[in-house]
Amino acid sequence: MDKKGSPLTVALQGMDARSSKMMAMYLHGPCKGEAVVISDGYADALILDADSMSGQAFLKTFLAEGVEKPLILISLHETHIENVICIKKPVKTDDMLMALSQIKSRLTQRKQHEDRVSKAAIEEYRVESEENFVTTKPNTVEVIEEKPVLKSYVIRTDEQLKTSKHQAAMQLNEKAFGAFIGNVPGLDVNDPRQFAKANYNAKHYFQGYVESAFNVSRTKGQARQLNSGWNPLLIFPEANEIWIDVDENQLRAFAGLLINSTLGASMSVTPLSQELVDQERILEKYQSMDAFLWKVACWASKGRYPHQLDIRQPIYLKHWPNFTRLLVTPHALRISALMIKGPRTLPNIAEVLNIKPQYVFIFASAAYALGLIGHAKRDADVLFQPPEIKPNKNQSILGRIISTLLGKKA
Amino acid sequence: MSQFKIIFTGPVGAGKTTAINSISDTPPVKTDASASDMTKTRKSSTTVALDYGVMNLPGGEKLHLYGTPGQERFDFMWDILVTGGIGLVLLLDNTRADPFQDMRFFLDTFEKFISQTTVAIGVTQMDLSSTPTIDEYHIQLNKLGLKPPVFAVDAREKSDVSLLIQSLLYTLDPGLEG
Repeated sequence: MDKKGSPLTVALQGMDARSSKMMAMYLHGPCKGEAVVISDGYADALILDADSMSGQAFLKTFLAEGVEKPLILISLHETHIENVICIKKPVKTDDMLMALSQIKSRLTQRKQHEDRVSKAAIEEYRVESEENFVTTKPNTVEVIEEKPVLKSYVIRTDEQLKTSKHQAAMQLNEKAFGAFIGNVPGLDVNDPRQFAKANYNAKHYFQGYVESAFNVSRTKGQARQLNSGWNPLLIFPEANEIWIDVDENQLRAFAGLLINSTLGASMSVTPLSQELVDQERILEKYQSMDAFLWKVACWASKGRYPHQLDIRQPIYLKHWPNFTRLLVTPHALRISALMIKGPRTLPNIAEVLNIKPQYVFIFASAAYALGLIGHAKRDADVLFQPPEIKPNKNQSILGRIISTLLGKKA
Repeated sequence: MSQFKIIFTGPVGAGKTTAINSISDTPPVKTDASASDMTKTRKSSTTVALDYGVMNLPGGEKLHLYGTPGQERFDFMWDILVTGGIGLVLLLDNTRADPFQDMRFFLDTFEKFISQTTVAIGVTQMDLSSTPTIDEYHIQLNKLGLKPPVFAVDAREKSDVSLLIQSLLYTLDPGLEG
């Protein structure tokens, strides 16, 4: 139960998968931080929907035999049952918060009482509980499927708390680009005469080490740790996520640095022991592997393109990047929309969209790191450069919608 | 003055109402009602007609945002709704048993409209159910010969919904400048 202000754990009764999900979301939303849904056996308390058939059956058993755990009953009807907190539907957040608070208070009182009665017994109970927690991870619950329309899935309460992993993307505009991405002294990546030099080798940057560590981790299907002389990068390929405890500005600076041979020699990738994998961490510091690599590639690129790409050859885009979870560089959506229609050379994309080549190059760097772009293989693609784009007949109004959306951006 | 509209569609509970709410300049007109049929087991209320929101544009014009009712028994309204629409936003709930089936159903239903305009797909509830992944959606879409934008979306987040609509518009015309 609550030891350091952590949420009350509750199990749901009398709810189908959909209702369970809605309740879990409700507790995660309006009641955030107060309660989380876990499996029945480990929950501090129960929430029962008394209006369903299964809920009625559970209530019958409860009234006949009793259940040790505190119970919150929700129903369309006014209900009064001794020792049960009843909330009338539609459930109001204040009522639910009050009920959860009452239960926390009851459990605290009960625990204090138990402490007084037998300190030794409680100590034993605590050890046993903690062992159970470590070995069985009771923070998940299999939702029993009652309706074929819903899958049987696991409500991963931890997953919802990984806010960095599920947060909205950052959309950079041209003004913010220079300060956020940086540039390469002495090189004008937007000057066509310098295009030949406007590339970079990811292996000489942190990006290359991250890519290599990701590859090893994914190939072996093993959690790994990239040691770089400062805060380690933990890689969990199964969940497609990384964990790193580092200030974003420091990471950005580090990702933009050329890695010299001394620093490079200190980089290593080591397997993570099961104990380390299971270790509790700050959930907000988890990020998706793709989103992490994407931004590290942007910072290494600084407006240059990957040296593996021949800018005289057309490049294809496999599919749209998942932009809501990635760093969105200037014009990245326009570039994607154009490339998805057919392969083009990078300078041609800049020319057709009338944008600086650095925006195309940085997009190409990030997309290449994720394996989303490559050279068009077909001769036809090489020989045939698509024509200029045909403006939409509603271009004026569509442009105003875009302007409004960009202005509205949260 | 011309009327422009974007249509939001998808199965019950995918977040159509919420998404419209996220970007509408005025409180959206909801036609939710207490569910009295099979929907009751899934939502306490559901959209029985349509949702409507509006975005005010520079120059006094408006972009109308329509959400289709999720229940198939109202599908007679869908044709009426899409008339004059500039594009389709398809929201899919990743916690449903077979989101690909949902996707195929809606892409098939709106095939004519999509062929005349375009579609962008938002996958909701990915924090509750991480599979299918966005890559797996692309694989399915590739089989259908489609390459639309597919983004993980939290319908409550204005920036998520905004990016989805931006991708829809840029698909129509990559030359658009904001």
